[in-house]
Amino acid sequence: MDTLARIKDLAGKEFSLDAQALDPGAPLDKLGIDSLSFIEFMFKVEEEFGVSVSDEDLKGIRTLGDLERHIAAALTAAGKA
Amino acid sequence: MTQRRVAVTGAGVVSPLGCTLEDFHRALCDARPGVRRLAPEIVQGSGVQVGALTDWKPAALLAEGEAANLDRATQFALGAAAQALAASGLDIARGPERVGVYWGTGLGGAHTLETAYKQIYAAGQWRTRPLTVVMAMNNAAGSNVAVRHGLRGPFANYATACSSSAMALGEAMRTIQAGRADAIVAGGSEALLTPATLAAWQALRTLAPADAGNAAASCKPFDRRRNGLVLGEGAAAFVLEDYSRAAARGAPILAVLTGYGNSCDAVHISRPDRDGQVRAMREALAESTLAPHAIGYINAHGTATAVGDVVEAEAINAVFGEAAAQVPVSSTKSLHGHLLGAAGALEFAAALLPLLRGWLPPTGFLEDPDPACKLRHVALRAERVNPPSAVMSNSFAFGGSNVVLIAERA
Repeated sequence: MDTLARIKDLAGKEFSLDAQALDPGAPLDKLGIDSLSFIEFMFKVEEEFGVSVSDEDLKGIRTLGDLERHIAAALTAAGKA
Repeated sequence: MTQRRVAVTGAGVVSPLGCTLEDFHRALCDARPGVRRLAPEIVQGSGVQVGALTDWKPAALLAEGEAANLDRATQFALGAAAQALAASGLDIARGPERVGVYWGTGLGGAHTLETAYKQIYAAGQWRTRPLTVVMAMNNAAGSNVAVRHGLRGPFANYATACSSSAMALGEAMRTIQAGRADAIVAGGSEALLTPATLAAWQALRTLAPADAGNAAASCKPFDRRRNGLVLGEGAAAFVLEDYSRAAARGAPILAVLTGYGNSCDAVHISRPDRDGQVRAMREALAESTLAPHAIGYINAHGTATAVGDVVEAEAINAVFGEAAAQVPVSSTKSLHGHLLGAAGALEFAAALLPLLRGWLPPTGFLEDPDPACKLRHVALRAERVNPPSAVMSNSFAFGGSNVVLIAERA
């Protein structure tokens, strides 16, 4: 499973949403994901991929697509990609 | 101005004796115990042998991801509150600012805290779930009830150990009497059967060991053989409502809450005090304007400790005088265990059984009453009676907090 599919899968479980139908370009708040639940979700994403996203980078994440790019970059930087 | 009366228009229960009010009442009628030998993964090194666990199935109410983000005590609260609101038929949308939540819990999110501490101290894993704070905080259960149902009226959360949820009911009654809310979801929840919490309780030397012949019979209030309490978990919730509004909308009125006594021993941090208990019972009777003989059932605090049961029996005798020989008393903790912060609410639900169905719930396993606990016991089996006009429920806590509630037949 590619990175985006794994993220969508996690988001589907965390927020009780249909993972397949998640639009990676949709703003998180439009998916019903508020800032507190997003921070909790990030914790699980970091666990899943074994990487961490800085507080600074976190602020720039508005969509699941943004999140995928950060995770992919972190994986590359860690030599895990 | 006449004071507003307070009706109980809905009740919900999540308990070791079942997860509806009906199942709970049926188990009490059958004297069916919820106390069990605890599994090794719960006991670990604590040395505790028995407890009263709730067979809680979150999937009936919560999505998988949702349940994982709520402490067990909060899940219980949501279960009990949803039942109570559904039973009351209250239309929250007609005035959500006039509907409040008053909740009680002893420890709050014990499971969440223990999970976090275990990770940190035992596994050296300092990366902690971001939701730990909002899951563990003491007001998490009540606040989640408010959030889920959009209850925007007054909110309060009481943490006075074993009187917490009884106090929530009493203070909710005051708030409605004062006209500050039309209805309040009041109750309490507790879920602390975790290894470290059990170890702390075990250190107090107040927990009963497993009964040698029958682990379910380990808690024996008022019995000569009693040797301590059994911890339990669960929740109970009620919709309390301004009587005239409840009657006008044709709500089911289960009972009327007419007396609330609240006192503090101010003597010792854990040893119970007869005078403090007497003052709380007298205050509740005075408020309800009932004479002692009008009380048709007392749900005692009755934890089955050596000292506690004797002090409560003395206090009841001091308040009720000659009537003490007639007023039936039981401690249902023998069956459902001690729910600590949720005990007062659950036992208020037990006290409604005589009012609603004409059954007096028993003190389970009371075969050899201690002469030092001279009371008119409902022992071993439930008793069929004409529904009494009024019942009392006692909740006495570590810290010296005493709360007494009186409910009358609708």
